Order: sequence, then structure tokens, then C-alpha cells
Amino acid sequence: MNLTPADDAHPKRTSLILFVTGEAPRSRRAHHSLSAALDDSSLDIAPAREIDLLREPQQAIRFGIFATPALLRIDASGNRRVLYGDLSDERRLKDFLAAL
Amino acid sequence: MKDTGTIAEHGLVKRATGIHDLDTVTHGGLPAGGATLVIGEPGCGKTIIGLQILASALARGEGGVFMSFEESRDQILRNADAFRWGPRLRESSRCEIIDGQSMRRAEFSGAFDIDGLLAVLDLCARRVEGTWIVLDGIDQLLRRQLDSQTAIDQIAQLNDWCIEHEYSLLLTGKHISSDRTQPDYLNGIEFMLSTILVLSSTLVDKRLNRRFRIAKYRGTRHNPDELAMLIDDGGIHLPYADPFIPETIPAAGERLGTGIERLDKILDGGVYRGSITLISGQPGTSKTTLGAAFVAAAAGRGERALLISFDEFARQIVRNVATLGIDLQTPIDSGHLRVVARASWDALVEEHYMALLALIDEFQPDCLVIDPASALLKSSGADSAFLALERLLAVTRTRGITLMLTSLSEADDPFGESTLSHASTLADTWIVLRYQVKGGERNRSLSVVKSRGTAHSNQVREMTLSPQGIELADVYPYGSEVLMGTARIQKESEEFALRQRQLKERLRQQQRLEREIDKTRALVQQGQEELERLQEELIAESHDQKEVDRGVDQHQDSVIQRRNPGQGGLAQ
Repeated sequence: MNLTPADDAHPKRTSLILFVTGEAPRSRRAHHSLSAALDDSSLDIAPAREIDLLREPQQAIRFGIFATPALLRIDASGNRRVLYGDLSDERRLKDFLAAL
Repeated sequence: MKDTGTIAEHGLVKRATGIHDLDTVTHGGLPAGGATLVIGEPGCGKTIIGLQILASALARGEGGVFMSFEESRDQILRNADAFRWGPRLRESSRCEIIDGQSMRRAEFSGAFDIDGLLAVLDLCARRVEGTWIVLDGIDQLLRRQLDSQTAIDQIAQLNDWCIEHEYSLLLTGKHISSDRTQPDYLNGIEFMLSTILVLSSTLVDKRLNRRFRIAKYRGTRHNPDELAMLIDDGGIHLPYADPFIPETIPAAGERLGTGIERLDKILDGGVYRGSITLISGQPGTSKTTLGAAFVAAAAGRGERALLISFDEFARQIVRNVATLGIDLQTPIDSGHLRVVARASWDALVEEHYMALLALIDEFQPDCLVIDPASALLKSSGADSAFLALERLLAVTRTRGITLMLTSLSEADDPFGESTLSHASTLADTWIVLRYQVKGGERNRSLSVVKSRGTAHSNQVREMTLSPQGIELADVYPYGSEVLMGTARIQKESEEFALRQRQLKERLRQQQRLEREIDKTRALVQQGQEELERLQEELIAESHDQKEVDRGVDQHQDSVIQRRNPGQGGLAQ
């Protein structure tokens, strides 16, 4: 969207960014759900980077993400997908990570 | 910055939206701190209200944030470009437009928070020193929540946040009332927010009729009616927003000529300034001509006159009435008269109303003719034509404009006199034009049905048109009827002949008398001469007598002298 190829959001392999707002319960739940899912999976995915929109609200405009928690997945060719919510649906999260 | 344009009413602080009509119906604007929900079906103008409020804020030197969950920044600016104030949104540095539509393509797993959204809005609002925040299509965000209670809680959170930071927030959302299979994410919100505007649109005669209603405005007076709404290049308009204040009506005392001398006479000098005259009649009964005569007379007095025609083009009217000796071209050229043609089918009633108001505002006429006002009934959404007309009458009355309405009545109308009978109750003077068909003739007639504050003649008069203008012919009551046309002319010639006869008779009488006088005078002359002759005779007679008497005396003397010659000298 507003990204340049040199951007850190456009890496060589699939990367994840988790958008959270401070210590909000849903954000914390999402953090735990994601960690657990990544531990379980055999996918070659780098650990998620976290952006706290309360501290860096300008990142919300940059990525076009206004609700939290939100998991942004950017694959090697730059395709983006966003999964909103506390990631409590394990199956849904696994499908999302596997890009199914 | 946040204090600009706010007023307080019973503790509720309002912020003017800068949209005149909206500020009128809300008695000053929307809450200065807190959320206002604008709901309605797609395409009924929710986004436009948001954009227009923002543009007005920018014009006043305030800032604003517009976030859309449905459209991109470019789409929004393109939409705004359709309006006069659109470019302002593009050019102003105090306007922040956030593209929130990425939410639409996302996937969802569980509930989410909007704290991030608030952080972004706060960042942007501070950057532009904004007072207004518009979240367009909030339903796109809220319907992603797993349960509607979470959505309601978050709207409450948004509302509290706006109250705390003194932002005026406008939330727009689609209202899907007809589709029950889809949960309505805005249902609970309606109970929670204190200010709700409802927009709707219906098709009337295949034309879109927009409606506006303040469904709720807690803690303040407001206009709760469903009002007609229009959208033009100026944005949204609520034509009936302005309240009617009867106290401002100027009292009328001055009489204005109608342009027809005989009609003025019937009306006791003309119509009152600021009054309303209704002229109704069937096609071809010269309603337009009467209207033209009225504006020509007004322009002739040096006043400003406006003739709005729904029937004919301006040039046609000027040409047609010129043949009747009514000159409209001269006052048009001098700027005293304007003739405007409109097509009734071309616009909604409200649009006509707005256009007429704009014309009145711009031209500031002293006299106004709408010919025919009944054409408004033919325009789309005619159910509100009477409302439009009544409001128009209120406007002309309060501004002291003398109004003449013409109304076309149908030939088969059992009452025959007015389809605008409703308006006739509002009119001060009601003139009915008719055809009187009698003896193979069709003659125009004029009668004054009512004229408030005027001792007017109740008689029907014949109206004749000629290159010399409009004439009202004398009334010939004949039994229970009034004679017109040939019958009138016949009656007129009969009367003329009678008068001629009477004149001749009188002349003869005079001549006879004169002859008598001459004769008498001659007799008098003759008598005088006789008198003189007799007098002379009398004088001559008495002279003779004296002569005789003297002769007698002398004779006696001589006799005495002869008898006494010695004494004769004694006697002498």
C-alpha cells in the first residue's frame, strides 16, 4: 500500500507483524495464541514483530490497520493478509499462517 | 480552537456544522463533545453530510479528520469534487483523510479492540487541530465483531472519548431495516447515543425523494419532523428548515393597481401590498394576461417584478401579451422585470421551491407572479406541493412581496373554479375567470370571489381582450343573468337606440318650446306696440279735450261779456 520495496515490511521471506494496544486483554490473548501456534507449527516463519499502536499510532496509518489485535502476514512476494481478533480460533490461525 | 462556533443550551454544548439548514433544525448544531449517528440506506447522502460538515469547518479555519471504512482517499476526494466546497478538502492542510477500507478485505478471528483507532484519530486530530471527526461507514467495522454487544460497547467508548476530548464525532452507517436475516449492528447503538439523524429516500414517480429526520437529540429542542432534503452542488439542503415567524408580517395598508383599471375599481383601488391574489380559471381564460398586466403595472410604478412561468417560455409571454397592449420588453430591458420559465416536470417540488426562493433572494421583487402555481402539482413528489406552496406564501407575506398566483382548473371539475382550492383559503383575493357559453358564444368572465378587507362588487363581469388591453365590460343584469358578448352588445345597442330616441325627442321638445317662445315673444312685441299706440291715442285724446274745454270757456266768457257789457270788465 504505502510501502516501498526497501521497506522492512517487505522482506525476503514470510514475516509477521502483530499489532497490539498496550496491555489490553485481547492483545495479550493474541500474543499468547500466536506464540503457541508458531511453536507448534513447522512453518518457516520468523518470530512476529510487535507494534503497539498506542505508542506508535502513525504505524496504523502506514499499514492501514486500525483495530487490534491484528496479525499482518507478508509473504516473500509482498502479498499481505490481515487477521483481526484475539486469534482465539486455533484452526483459523493455523490456516492463516499456512496461507491456506 | 475547540471553542469556535459552539453554543451552550441547558448544559449541552453544541457546535455549528456550518450547514445553515442543519444548524437551523438542530437549533445550533451537533454536540460539541460526543458522537452523532447518521443512519440511512445506501446512497441517501450520509457521506455527503460528513464531507460538507468538514468542508464548512475548514472554511471557518477549523480542522477535521475524515476516515472512511468504505472508500479510498481518492474516491472520497472525487466524490467531494462534485460539490462547490469539494476542492477545499483536497487543498487544505488542516484536513486529514484516512483510508480505513483495508478492514473490508481482512479476516477475523475473535473480538478486537478499537483503542488503536482512537490513538490514530487522536494523532490526526491533534496534527490538524481538528474539531470534527467523521467515521464514514462505521458499520463496516462493527459488523466484524462476533457479538453486537461488543460493538455497542465500543461505540460507547468512542462517544466517551469524544466527550472527554471535546471532539464532535459523526458516525455514519447503513441501516438495514428491511432485511431481518442480517443482524443490524446499529440497533443497540441507537439506544445509546443521544443524537441520531435518519436519512431516507423513496421513489415518487420514478424520482428520488430524499428525507431527513432528527430521530433523537437528547436534552435540546430540535425539529422532529421528517423534512425534505435536496442535494445539489452546494451540498445538502433542507428547504423547509426555516421556521415561520408570523410576527414579522408587515401590516398592509397600501393598495396596488392590478394593471386593469376597471378591476382596481371593483377591488376598491387594487390589491393590498404584501397580499396574495389567486386567479383561477380554465385553459385560455387569460390568467397569464392578468399576471402580465400586474407585473407590467408594478414595473410601471418603478417596482421590481418577477414573473415565473411554468407554462410558456419568457419570449412567448412577452410576444403574446404585447398583442394585447401589455409591454413587458421595456421593463425587462430596464431591469425592473424578470420573466423566468421553469418546467414543472423537470424537478422535484422541493427543488422548485428552493429555486424560487433563490430567485426571490437574488432579485428581491416587490411583486411576484407564479403562473400557474398549480403546475407544482404536476411535478414529482406533488403530495408535498401544498406544503411548498404554503411555505412560499409565508415567505412572500413575511417579506411584504405582493403575490399573484394563477391556477389552472379542470374543465370537468365539478366546482369548476379551483384545483388549488386549498390555496384559495390562504389567498386574500380570489378572482375566478370563466367561460360563459350562451347563445353560441364563449365569453370570458371575471368575478371576484373574495377579497379580504375590501368592499368589492359581487357581480360577474365580462372581460374583453383587445390591442388596447384588458377591459371589463359593464354589467347588464337581465333578470337573474348578466349579459355578455353579443347579448351584451345587443343590449348595449338597444340601450343606445333608446337613448338616441330619447335625445331626439328632447331635442324636438326643445325646438318646440323655442318656437313657442319666439311666437310669444312676437305676441309680446305686438302687444307692446299696441300698448304704445293706445297710449299715444290716449294722450292725443286728452289733448283734444283740453282744446275743447278751452273753446268752451272762451265761449262762456264771450257770452257773459255780451250779456253784461258794462260789467264784462269786472269779470276779467
